[in-house]
Amino acid sequence: MGAVTYPKPEVVDYINQNFIPVQLQYDTQPEAADFNITWTPTMIVLDETGKEHHRNVGFQSPEDFVSFLMVGQAKTYFDHNAFEPAITLLEKVIKQYPKSAAAPEAAYLLGVSKYKATHNAAPLKEAFEFLKANYPDSDWLKRAQPYSLL
Amino acid sequence: MHHEIKWESDLKNGLTRAVAEKKPVLLDFFNPG
Repeated sequence: MGAVTYPKPEVVDYINQNFIPVQLQYDTQPEAADFNITWTPTMIVLDETGKEHHRNVGFQSPEDFVSFLMVGQAKTYFDHNAFEPAITLLEKVIKQYPKSAAAPEAAYLLGVSKYKATHNAAPLKEAFEFLKANYPDSDWLKRAQPYSLL
Repeated sequence: MHHEIKWESDLKNGLTRAVAEKKPVLLDFFNPG
């Protein structure tokens, strides 16, 4: 990450504008035990209380990493029932980084966020149809399979 | 001008800044090799 992804200007800008970045050596205690760190790199998105909302283990390309960060922000909003900002971020992931590893998860969460915001089930089925059309090999399509029946 | 990530090295300080700046924290555990 330090050699390839972190030096990229788009990564630097996104992190400095949207996050408080904290970097700890893998054996720093008590944090390594608190977060059950068993491999590096491990990147975790926390809210301001220190609660975890999203995690990745292993290298990510700059594009995959920025989209991971956006999904992490969205999940933090989602977990606090703030669905509108979550929807905005998830739509950005799909539009700006459609080939990223995070895009199928963003599509799934977008459908769920829209459902939670409106209690209208149509976005769940739309998420399934979108995943089927654009990410047919994704695990997130399997997770959305029940929505095909709505 | 340095164009680099402005890492904190202490989680408590990071969380204090997170409250003040209303931002989430990116916590990176790394192996210096």
